[in-house]
Amino acid sequence: MTMNKRLSILLLTAPSMIVLLGVFLLPMLLMLLLSFQNDEQAFSVENYLLFAKDPYYAEIMWRTIRVSLWTVLCSLVLGFPVAMFMAQATGKMRGIVTMLILAPHLISVVIRNFGWVVVLGEKGWINEVLLALGLIKEPLRLLYNELGVVIGLTDSFIAYMVLAIATSLYAIDPSLSKAASILGASRVRTFFTVTLPLSLPGLVAGTTLVFSLSMSAFVTPALMGGTSVKVMPVIAYEQIMATLNWPLGAALAFLLLGSTILLVTLYTRLIETKRYKEVFSS
Amino acid sequence: MSKVIDVELRSLMKKFQNNIVVQDFNLQVEQGEFVSFLGPSGCGKTTTLNMIAGFLDPDGGDLLIKGQRMNGVPPYKRELGMVFQTYSLFPHMTVAENIAYGLKLRKISKSQIQERVGRVLDLVKLPHVADRYPKQLSGGQRQRIAIARALVIEPSLLLLDEPLSNLDAKLREELRDELKRLHQEIGVTTIFVTHDQEEALSLSDRIVVMNHGFIEQIGTPKDIYNRPASEFVHTFIGKTNRLEGEVAGHEGDSLIIQTIGGLLVEAKSANLMLLPGQKATVFIRPEKIRLSADTAPEGRNRANGQLKLSSFLGSYTECEVQANGHSISVKLQTVDKGVELVPGKAVSCSWDAEDVLVMPAERG
Repeated sequence: MTMNKRLSILLLTAPSMIVLLGVFLLPMLLMLLLSFQNDEQAFSVENYLLFAKDPYYAEIMWRTIRVSLWTVLCSLVLGFPVAMFMAQATGKMRGIVTMLILAPHLISVVIRNFGWVVVLGEKGWINEVLLALGLIKEPLRLLYNELGVVIGLTDSFIAYMVLAIATSLYAIDPSLSKAASILGASRVRTFFTVTLPLSLPGLVAGTTLVFSLSMSAFVTPALMGGTSVKVMPVIAYEQIMATLNWPLGAALAFLLLGSTILLVTLYTRLIETKRYKEVFSS
Repeated sequence: MSKVIDVELRSLMKKFQNNIVVQDFNLQVEQGEFVSFLGPSGCGKTTTLNMIAGFLDPDGGDLLIKGQRMNGVPPYKRELGMVFQTYSLFPHMTVAENIAYGLKLRKISKSQIQERVGRVLDLVKLPHVADRYPKQLSGGQRQRIAIARALVIEPSLLLLDEPLSNLDAKLREELRDELKRLHQEIGVTTIFVTHDQEEALSLSDRIVVMNHGFIEQIGTPKDIYNRPASEFVHTFIGKTNRLEGEVAGHEGDSLIIQTIGGLLVEAKSANLMLLPGQKATVFIRPEKIRLSADTAPEGRNRANGQLKLSSFLGSYTECEVQANGHSISVKLQTVDKGVELVPGKAVSCSWDAEDVLVMPAERG
């Protein structure tokens, strides 16, 4: 019986296992090996040492993290009210909002980013309107800097934040805020002492997701950051496709992966205290 | 000393869209009183409670708590205690933190909080669960903690929104007695919403019976049970036998009614405004009817018939007697050994004229 069951599980998962092994794990392993090669194709750690020696790379790494953190913050601040609205809305309204949030994702990210270029550029309508109203004297620089990248990334990933937090909010018994209110808590107080702490699982999921996606984003920084705001995925791409220095490109990619994993692990360790586990474990 | 009125509702009205759900609600609750809102679901009792709590704003009338008009005052400024049907304990706080929540908001010192939390935990007899999380408690324990959390802020008024309906039968009874004990000990003015007549009868000083957004009757449990103001009140509270007929005549302070089946029923101190020939309905509680095996001739307040069913229910036995085309239910104390309760047996039902209730038949 168990033998049969195991065999069927093995057979059922075999196709996806083979694909994952062949196109994901194996190339990853090859890239890892490649990152430890020097010009003479001998084993060396010089690609990684270069990162430590040359402040250029460290600065790009720091910028990647900074842009990702800003994206997380913007998605959180803009997304939380939307999630709260969804949690209070009727089933039908929830469906409509979910659709509105996901609809932009039906269009390629490249096209959406170009849409932002049109809106945010020096001759974009935001600047035109502000100039016409006389609120500014010169066009604001909203593109080809970190602000532009954060705007683009927030637009790309905010849906994940909203849906993750909304799922957590749906699970909160609405009578809890009534209970807080009758005990003397104002709406703001209720939010910070009841709603926010109870939405932590969704908040952790949303922030982790948006952070990881922002760290590894390539298209948006390339299109909306231009040449002046380079991030790790962009320089890894350049090393591999333009400079043809595959070992360095591979090393940069693994440094990005390593730092993302490290930061996400530290973050979740910090939040998931003993109390968190006691409250949210089922 | 004159009575202190803690809560006053003056012609309170609430509508949702064009649906009036509470209308012309007038009530004064005295300090220390335990008042129940009783009625079927959708009768407006919870809506009224939510208006008192401040979760809903009345569309008409005035609400006064301790003499102050409360219309439009948000719940967090009303200084009330409330216990919800679903317990509503904060799952991310321990029992002690749950209870301390309202005290912290009132900027009470840490040592004071600790002392008051301990005292209220003793009051609900759960001093050992302070450091547990709500999900580690049983349903009954959770509701006790919810009561403790509501009481610790020493509210001017305690609101209970069907707090026992999520518990199983035995626990419900236990917690009902607990509520009674707490109310006697603390004496906090309490408004209790329930659809369970037994809870209302056993706990309340006064009961407000509601139906379709209107108050049907306000009275003590005994009043409500023995002198119902309407057919709805009488049939909603306790089981009853309902016999239709018409007024045959008056005899001193008695009213004689002839039922459709031909029974003659005499009612003492009934509504003597009823005129002969007028349609009327007679009500007799099952526990007021006696059963005997003699075959005395039928007469006033006496019906001969056949025993159809008998169900032994421990402390009492429920019987159904078919007599003159009426199906009469009788509730007998099991100690009664007079009659052998075999279905098919000829029996005689009788009752006293004092236990008969007469109401004019409802039109329609």
